[in-house]
Amino acid sequence: MSETLHQLRESARHVLAELGLAAAEPSTWDLVTELGWLLVAVPEELGGLGQGLSGACAFHTELGRGLASVPYASATLAIDAVCRIGAGRRADWVQRLTAGEYVCTPLSDSTQIARVAAGKLTLRGVASAVPSADKASHILVCSSAADCVALVPLDRAGVQLTYRPTWDSTRRLFDVHFTDVALDEPLMLARETDAQALCRALSIQRDLALAADSVGGAGALLERTVDYLQTRRQFARPLALFQALKHRCADLKTQLAAAEALLIGSLDRIGDSLDAPGAEAAAKAAKYLACSMYASLAEEALQLHGGIGMTVEHPCHLFLKRALLNQQLGRRPDCYEPDLADALLGGL
Amino acid sequence: MIGEGSASMTQQQDPELLRLGVRAWLEQNVPRNWRAAMTGTGQDTFVRAQREWFARLVEAGYATPHWPAGWPGGGRSLAEQKVIYEEVARADAPRLILYFVALYHAACTLMEWGTPEQKGRYLPAIIQGDIWCQGFSEPNAGSDLASLRTRAELRGDRYVVNGQKTWSTMAQYADRCLLLVRTGASQPPQGGLTYLLLDMRSKGVSVRPIAQITGDDEFGEIFLDDVEIPIENRVGREGEGWAVAQSTLASERGLTLVELTQRMRCSLGRIAALMQERGCAGDQALRRDLGRLVAKVDAACALADRYLTKRISGEEAPGDASIVKLWYSRTLREFVALGLRISGLPGQYREDFTRGGSQETGNWAVDFMNSYNWTIAGGSDEIQRNIIAERMLGMPREPKTWTAP
Repeated sequence: MSETLHQLRESARHVLAELGLAAAEPSTWDLVTELGWLLVAVPEELGGLGQGLSGACAFHTELGRGLASVPYASATLAIDAVCRIGAGRRADWVQRLTAGEYVCTPLSDSTQIARVAAGKLTLRGVASAVPSADKASHILVCSSAADCVALVPLDRAGVQLTYRPTWDSTRRLFDVHFTDVALDEPLMLARETDAQALCRALSIQRDLALAADSVGGAGALLERTVDYLQTRRQFARPLALFQALKHRCADLKTQLAAAEALLIGSLDRIGDSLDAPGAEAAAKAAKYLACSMYASLAEEALQLHGGIGMTVEHPCHLFLKRALLNQQLGRRPDCYEPDLADALLGGL
Repeated sequence: MIGEGSASMTQQQDPELLRLGVRAWLEQNVPRNWRAAMTGTGQDTFVRAQREWFARLVEAGYATPHWPAGWPGGGRSLAEQKVIYEEVARADAPRLILYFVALYHAACTLMEWGTPEQKGRYLPAIIQGDIWCQGFSEPNAGSDLASLRTRAELRGDRYVVNGQKTWSTMAQYADRCLLLVRTGASQPPQGGLTYLLLDMRSKGVSVRPIAQITGDDEFGEIFLDDVEIPIENRVGREGEGWAVAQSTLASERGLTLVELTQRMRCSLGRIAALMQERGCAGDQALRRDLGRLVAKVDAACALADRYLTKRISGEEAPGDASIVKLWYSRTLREFVALGLRISGLPGQYREDFTRGGSQETGNWAVDFMNSYNWTIAGGSDEIQRNIIAERMLGMPREPKTWTAP
């Protein structure tokens, strides 16, 4: 990790700790934009901090630690997409989006079909798991066939938002319905093979963002759990003295360290080449391991907290619910393990 | 650089250039069909093959990359050592099991604690092929090593040793033994221990192989009956044995797991091949299990890598090594359990096993049984969990107030 990134990360951790766990979305978003966190991965020649994918993931991790209620992953995916388009339109979009205009990106794959009707390209279908869509000016849409990537203004006729409250109260997810919405040529970011490459790049980054969020959240939750076991006394001794519980915590720490190492290893392997062979498998492995680790760590953490973990005033449940949602975001959750096997079997 | 073994130079080079050199050398030198040759063979044939392979590696300078500059093959940076291990794993070369204790435990302990005379006598002999074994564990001192009871008494200029050691790898072939003995009272438990170097041909030493559940007998018990060890064969001061032993145990410091995790990654192909062979390559449930294993194996490689990176940059924290070992051992168990499951009924038929391979030889029942070596030896999983909980997570140590009812 570069010295610059290390400092950025430390200051992010500090700021988020001041703000408190799962702080309100509007104040957190103001901070994110004021402190320039949206610029982290943007190349220097476009006015960004040039910290790349590792930089973005360092922030996803910190925001995961703090259970931040901001659509940072969704926003940075859109920013990355506009950084990759032709030079003509790029600067304007990058400037708008990094200054705080929010363009949302779905955090799961869903069905949007782009087709030609009456000589115009139109969009039909639904985009699911779109964070804070009511705050966004546009949505970034990849058509299901990956033959086009476009920005769609959310105030366009035929676009309808439905708020879908989730058990995870640190996110606000929407369904965005499209009923024959005409796509504007100036808002088209990529077509055909370019669109396929861009979709792949976005999926890889989405996997890594979810992995990083999970590593951050799991780390914070394990610290809290161990602290709780040190403090809570039963049978005239701290719970942390019981070897049965120590060993469970040690296993959780080991699983966390493995997921974190795999994430860092995948980031190193991918570097700046999202289109390199193996990049997709590396991101899938990191996502799969980190999100399943977070969910099982959170499940154990609640058990280790006992009754207090079942109460609303204790934050244990916030982590658990975010972990369970993370597992369902990204690609179709059931595809990760067979895909990793296919990558192995195909590569032999 | 191939075959470079000059004793005086510090070898530092671009790791990627080194990689090409090592790869080319291995292509030429790894014994052809060694797996077939080492399957169903006895210990003697295996020992002969190990000696030959060791001599070739020494000649090329690849047996001792972790030794300091000045020694043949020594002076390699950690990054270079890592490259060598990665390539050895990639080439599926035989593992140097017979020389592990000599090259790591004995050498690193002597480098750190040995007198000039001890270094001059024992280190060159290691390069010439001396085999060492370890005499730490005892029947009643396994995880609780500090409670060992083999006793040494100083009489004039020699120690007289009585007791029993166990779980000593290849002890029946060893020339020398790293011996940890009690010379004083056990207060604190780690006190009163002394570290000696034992010539296995001394009078009063007898070795009995341990019959293992795999049908192999690579470990032995060592019986010591009024064995005399000259005082100049003591390492460190009397009573300082525990500290010296810590150097022994820390000596391989992550490099073995770089090699073993890489070997494990390469061995995933064995499971894929097994699925083809068993006609279940299309089985969705098995593919899911395999995918899960791939992620865990990748994480094991990443952990070992990261551990080494931390060591290079001096950021190693207490417990880091335990995490790598625990994750590796658990993943290994899952790996061989999956292989055994897929191998089906044929996997239950007794077949000859391969000596000197990685932990995943494709004789799945034997691999499964051998995988306990990693969850029990070298600090059991339970000991690693204690270390992680106490030293990394800051949880309290076991109270010492327990008394037998």
